[in-house]
Amino acid sequence: MRGTLRWARADLRARPSQALLTLGVVAGVVAALVLSTMLLQGAVNPWQQLFARTHGADVLIYFQNGTNTSELSSLPGVRQVGRPYEAASATLEQGPVQSPVELRGMTPVPPAMSTPLIVAGTWLRSSEQDGAVIEASFAAAVHVGVGDKIVVDGIDGTSVPMRVIGIADTADQGFYPQWTPGLIWVQHGLLTAVEPHQSETQEVVGLRLDDASTVATGQVVQTIWNLYNGPTENSAVLRYSTWQQVQNSMASNDRLLGLLLALFGVIALVAAPCAIANVTAGSVLMQRQDIGMLKALGFTPGQVVGMLLAEQTALGAAGAGFGLVAARIMTSSAFVRPPDGTPVGLAPLSGSWVALIGGGAVLTVAIATIIPAWRAGQVSPVAAVQPTPPRGHLSLIARLGLLVRLPPALVLGARDSLTRRLPSALTVVGLAIPMAMITIALICWSTIDGFTRDPGRIGLAAAVTVTPGGGLDTARTLNLISHDHQVLAYYPGAEFDTLLPGDNGTFIARAVGYSSRPYPFQTVQGRMFDAPNEAVAGQGFLTLMHIGVGAWISPTIDGVPVILHIVGRTIEPDNNGDVLDFGLDALSDAGGGGPQLFYALVLKPGVSPAAARATLLAASRDELDVQLVANPADGLEVVKVVIVVAVAVLAVIGLANLLTAAAVGQRDHLHEVGVLKALGLTPRQVTATLVVNTTILTAIGVASGTVAGLVIAPRLINMQGQTSGIGSGIAASLPAATVVEILAIALAIATTAALFLARRTTRMSDSAHLRSPNRPSPPRRHALDNVNSLRTR
Amino acid sequence: MSRSERYLPCLPGGADTACLLRARQLVKVYRADGVAVEALRGIDLDLAVGEFVAIMGPSGSGKSTLLHVLGGLEPATTGEIWLRGRRVDGLSRSGWAILRRRHVGFVFQFFNLLSNMTVADNVELPALLAGASPRQARKRREELLAELGIADKAGAAPARLSGGEQQRVALARALANEPSLLLADEPTGNLDSSNTRDVLRLLRRVHDGGQAILMVTHDARVASLADRVINLFDGMVADDATIVPLPRSLNGVGDVLELRG
Repeated sequence: MRGTLRWARADLRARPSQALLTLGVVAGVVAALVLSTMLLQGAVNPWQQLFARTHGADVLIYFQNGTNTSELSSLPGVRQVGRPYEAASATLEQGPVQSPVELRGMTPVPPAMSTPLIVAGTWLRSSEQDGAVIEASFAAAVHVGVGDKIVVDGIDGTSVPMRVIGIADTADQGFYPQWTPGLIWVQHGLLTAVEPHQSETQEVVGLRLDDASTVATGQVVQTIWNLYNGPTENSAVLRYSTWQQVQNSMASNDRLLGLLLALFGVIALVAAPCAIANVTAGSVLMQRQDIGMLKALGFTPGQVVGMLLAEQTALGAAGAGFGLVAARIMTSSAFVRPPDGTPVGLAPLSGSWVALIGGGAVLTVAIATIIPAWRAGQVSPVAAVQPTPPRGHLSLIARLGLLVRLPPALVLGARDSLTRRLPSALTVVGLAIPMAMITIALICWSTIDGFTRDPGRIGLAAAVTVTPGGGLDTARTLNLISHDHQVLAYYPGAEFDTLLPGDNGTFIARAVGYSSRPYPFQTVQGRMFDAPNEAVAGQGFLTLMHIGVGAWISPTIDGVPVILHIVGRTIEPDNNGDVLDFGLDALSDAGGGGPQLFYALVLKPGVSPAAARATLLAASRDELDVQLVANPADGLEVVKVVIVVAVAVLAVIGLANLLTAAAVGQRDHLHEVGVLKALGLTPRQVTATLVVNTTILTAIGVASGTVAGLVIAPRLINMQGQTSGIGSGIAASLPAATVVEILAIALAIATTAALFLARRTTRMSDSAHLRSPNRPSPPRRHALDNVNSLRTR
Repeated sequence: MSRSERYLPCLPGGADTACLLRARQLVKVYRADGVAVEALRGIDLDLAVGEFVAIMGPSGSGKSTLLHVLGGLEPATTGEIWLRGRRVDGLSRSGWAILRRRHVGFVFQFFNLLSNMTVADNVELPALLAGASPRQARKRREELLAELGIADKAGAAPARLSGGEQQRVALARALANEPSLLLADEPTGNLDSSNTRDVLRLLRRVHDGGQAILMVTHDARVASLADRVINLFDGMVADDATIVPLPRSLNGVGDVLELRG
């Protein structure tokens, strides 16, 4: 044991760069994993972040006003009772649109429990009695910003004008419109103005529990319900909400994010062990002689294996520690934007996640070390004393190459890469895997980018939809739209929630444009409809119906049976792809269609949807209902951050593999270098030989990895598209120039690294290479020793 | 004084405690690319406690292989090896490793110091491996380095030493656990004449202290230091001769060897 420790200590001291390499790779992978998990968890489950940052309540209880709630704090399981506040139901009036809201009476001092998290503007101020703070997802849905004036109607019809002074996040309720009513915080005076009858208001109390598990929460809620809604038949508890309900409501079931999390897990599982195994295998190869000598001194094979395992695992543990700390520092000020909400600060990962990632990384290091360590255990003690003859021979091709006077450096370098098969294969695989992963990540990026840059590609040609309403009839709406110079084209449409045959679900039947002039759907299979009895459908619909392109269906749309021939499949980001599209004439031919009309507006290139919306609203004096079309890529910005981190880590892993390969290769060549010089190669030619060897392997590894990535990525993305219902055909490809750039950068880095190592090797004195087999030379030598060593060889 | 007077003879049968090392019909066959090469072809060898035997022979005669097989670095193909009255040829690799810790020290032509470790660590490692406390290991190392005249090099890296110094460190390392048997493979093969002299003087001193040594060399002057010289040829013992220290007056070249058998 003491001997083992002594050797490990000396080993770490003698080769700090290799230890740092392992440390760096593990730290990078752990940091990337923590970061990705935090970001994706934040995006998939934003509740956790919000709850932590707003000191959210575990349970909210809505009491009838006037209820004595003082008993709550003495109930078993209740740890803390929040300040009760008044709430009233009301309606937000926006022209023809009315949205249900809940007003909460607050003071200029924000509450300690369920503190609204201000993301824009300010909290309520006593100097602005008409100020209102709006919950962020509600504000986004009703297009209200700081400084806007809004009108809130009470139940009895009283209209109260307010001014929006702040936007805030809360963990008290889910995102609007999945969770209604929308939430507005106002000061008490304003609440009384909207709802003057105190008996109509409610009293909301937040509770924090000792044990917030689902069972315990249920028990507390039941106790309160029984206590207040007892035999008096005077139901004091009107309703309640628990943190579980809020969390479920906020949770996004975005499968793309889940897939990405899995993808980066796979990256960590595949690329990191490769790099670790490579680094360890490299150090074993470089220390073959010393390991042989240790065995000659009396180390058993088991001791050698245990020693390497312990050393690498300790390095891995240190690396994991560094990674966790680095991730903590990096994420302390980072923000994440959930798909439907506003940016939320990242909450630290739970202990179990940290343990899983850290422990997993250390375990991976141990597993990756097993094979190289086992090989080290098998090293013959004779390796210490018998130089292995250099392997490889001049192949026919090499001899031909020399015969036709190819540069000898090229021939000899190429010969090395081809004859030393196992090390070469390891290098190639070690580079190809990270390279393939990088390519996949970049194609993901390119695809997401394409969604935003060219929404038409995913069937979102129209950026704005307009619904006539209020005092505007169809003719005046059409007039407004057709005279707007920002609109390139518009398509009338109608949308119906339709029952699937067999009554086991619904899909959206959507008529937009006419069969003679259809809406520009993105058809990826079959063709666009061009007759009234033809239709196209999203993948989700086809999967739901178990049919393919070419099928005939007869759904009942808007009460009218329609017979349709599905002639194509579209990219369909809406409603999980459960959408059937056809022309309006299909409905009118069948005798249906009419009232639910909207207009899909395709804007001229360069026009921002928000500007077009503002113009239309102004032109119609806020009478029109103008909605911006949601782009699924909006929620995926977080993925870009993850991709950048992943690419950086993969680059480090690739570089680690490359440096190991170059170092091991050149160490193997140390002896040959002397021979080559003795044969008459100039130092420059010797350097070139070593560089050519590394560069050829890099080129093969990088090229094969990139090709694999280019082949795999579209399949992965399309597979994801197919399962999510949007349909395959969404994957973008990398421009050829980008591919060439990636290859060039990788090769340039490889060649530079190889050149650096090769020059060091070449500079060693000539005799040094010939002195002792496979062993770096001591600087001080007696002349006679060299002669002796030459003679005895 | 003949050999039989200086050392107790090895009795027939392996389990003879006076006999330090006994090999019987040792055969070592290498297989490379389907071709079998017989490196050792039935070697019989006895080494008494405290005896110094040199093995000579031309290149490829199997000298180094014999040494490796006797030290368990490579397994014998067939044959018996007895060390201190115990049969050891059937030991596993781990068994051999543990045996080497206590009973076999190695010195090689190319020194083979652990390049990562300082001179002190190189010498202390075998002692630590054998279970000595760090304090004991350091004490033993200090003694050995002082005895070999390189006490001032304890903190140096092996690569910074001259060949002679490196071989002295290697010798100190081999002797760290006071092994029963010291196996030396061309210990002077990579040294100049003055360093050769120094190392031989040290070997002589160690031997005089009772250390049994089996040394491979192809230098007759080096071999002359031994009590007995075994000549190998094509993997077989060609002759086995005891060197008789001669009276001063008869110090002629022709009287150096007394051929036996």
